[in-house]
Amino acid sequence: MIKDIFKIENIVFDSTAKAKIDALKFIASFAEKEGIVKSSKAYYKGLKKRESEVTTGFKDGIAIPHCKHKTVLKPSLMVVKFSNTVEWDSMDGKPVQITFALAIPEGENQAHLKLLSSISRALIDEEFTEAILNAETESEMYAIIQEKMDKVND
Amino acid sequence: MEQKKIVGVTACSAGIAHTYMAAESLEKAGEEKGYDIKIETQGSIGVENELSQKDIEEADIVILAVEINIDMSRFFGKRVMRVRASEAIRNPDALIETAFKEANPYGEKGTQAGIAKMGKTEEGGFFQHIMAGISYMIPMVIASGLILAIANVYAFQRDEAGRIIEWGFDKTTMMGELMSNLFDVGQVGFLLMIPLFAGFVANSIAGKPAIAAAMIGTYIANDAEMLGADAGGGFLAAILVAFATGYFVKLMKKIPYPKIIQPIVPIMIIPLVSTLVISIFVLYVIGNPMASMMDGLYEGLTTLNENYAAAPVLIGVIIGAMIGFDLGGPFNKTALVFGTAVFTDTIAKYGIEGANFVPQTATQAAISVAPLGIWLASIIFKKKFSPTEKVSANSAFGMGIVGVTEGAIPFAAQDPVRMIPAFVAGSAVAGGLASGLGIKFYGGIGSPLGTFVGYIEQPIPFVTWIFSVLMGVLVTALIIGFTKKRVD
Repeated sequence: MIKDIFKIENIVFDSTAKAKIDALKFIASFAEKEGIVKSSKAYYKGLKKRESEVTTGFKDGIAIPHCKHKTVLKPSLMVVKFSNTVEWDSMDGKPVQITFALAIPEGENQAHLKLLSSISRALIDEEFTEAILNAETESEMYAIIQEKMDKVND
Repeated sequence: MEQKKIVGVTACSAGIAHTYMAAESLEKAGEEKGYDIKIETQGSIGVENELSQKDIEEADIVILAVEINIDMSRFFGKRVMRVRASEAIRNPDALIETAFKEANPYGEKGTQAGIAKMGKTEEGGFFQHIMAGISYMIPMVIASGLILAIANVYAFQRDEAGRIIEWGFDKTTMMGELMSNLFDVGQVGFLLMIPLFAGFVANSIAGKPAIAAAMIGTYIANDAEMLGADAGGGFLAAILVAFATGYFVKLMKKIPYPKIIQPIVPIMIIPLVSTLVISIFVLYVIGNPMASMMDGLYEGLTTLNENYAAAPVLIGVIIGAMIGFDLGGPFNKTALVFGTAVFTDTIAKYGIEGANFVPQTATQAAISVAPLGIWLASIIFKKKFSPTEKVSANSAFGMGIVGVTEGAIPFAAQDPVRMIPAFVAGSAVAGGLASGLGIKFYGGIGSPLGTFVGYIEQPIPFVTWIFSVLMGVLVTALIIGFTKKRVD
């Protein structure tokens, strides 16, 4: 189930982004490279528009940038860890270290939307976010997310 | 101590992340504090974990962490705390505590609505009742409209020359006979749908005792013969009758009846008295002005008719506008009757060469504009149509494409202020273009398809007709798109 929207290849580490705009651009071009979106430009615009409505910065260094856009080819979760912390106008004012970026196509089916919503819910679990923040490799991170998703979606 | 119960709703603008984060954090915080908590999410998946009426009744407080407008009516009288979704994510504990301390009963005097927009309850009345009536009418409109539309396709006969098409069914064949009967079936539906609509509008205002008077009164208002008029009052009259009935019955309910007759008040006294009063009101008060309004219109058009040769565009525009104005009501019917009358009168007098096609061509060019315009708007401006409206718009297409203008009625009744101008403008454009470009409509379906199913003489075969009709459709769709509000 979770594999439909999230693979280990969807985890990436970045050391270039310094500001929110760079981070969003990085996520967008990563999405295009992975074949998740058709146009990184369109997806970037969508993400930015969503940010301008309400910030997606959460707390403890986590943000959840997302948008629903017709350029999205397959519903996906991408996890990006930044080595520089990024200012994100978060709820607790802390800069962001990890983003859970969601890409949602227009007219997406319920099962996938449900999976994506359970990711949002998972972020409320502090044990989970702590484990994610402390994870050092892609495979470690993937295991944590997969375990959590299996738990909530069975 | 009994466990306190919290219910809530979360919803954010995108409906993707914050809706669910807010729900999760409220549930978690509530459970940790030992509350019984249930949170409904209204996100892109739709409504999940929906609150039942019982949940709401049992709840001590209601927490709404929402950034879009939601239906507040079910929380009437409950202690409601309304905040932004992010508030519930940031600090759910504090939010729950504040809610227990400060939440005020919703809908009572001095309510602190915060960012809540109370618009819905204010505009409530009128449109809520209309909507109730429409929801009962739509299945009948769709069923009978489509049956009528199917039958209509078979209603054209060519003569040996293949030129003039006579409207009517060839009853000598079995198919013609069947289609003629189906056409009558559709007509029955159209006859019933407007009284049905009025009955349920009145029901929404004043309950079951109001249905009889509203249905009977509306039937009379649409029965030209009983009124001694040329046409009935259409759905505009239905709205008038339904509201008159609804409020009359509401008044009647306030009378302090003696205890002994109380049981028969709702089943006998109110239906009897209100039906008598409303019927007489329709027959003697609003029936006659309607008839004279019609006469005035007919006279005005006849005067214009004398100058028609000089002003086909003007006539086309006026006729088209009338077609779109009340969609099968008296204006629409007047225009249709006028068009047919002018055509048959002049063809009898001067022969086919000297016949005046202008009004008839305009009516037929305009007749499909409103339903097709609605459909096109629902395709171009998807976000402005609710799922139910989209279904109605699709069935409007089915009717419009075969020239049944009534397909647009549900939209006109629901939102007359925006819809009627859009229908009128588009229909006027189609009527004006068709007349001004010199198209001659002999017979056929009044829709873009008419050029294939029918006989139409035009400067550029097929193209001129389709162009004229589609321009009207486009104008209607664009006006609807620019004026209609987004659906949350």
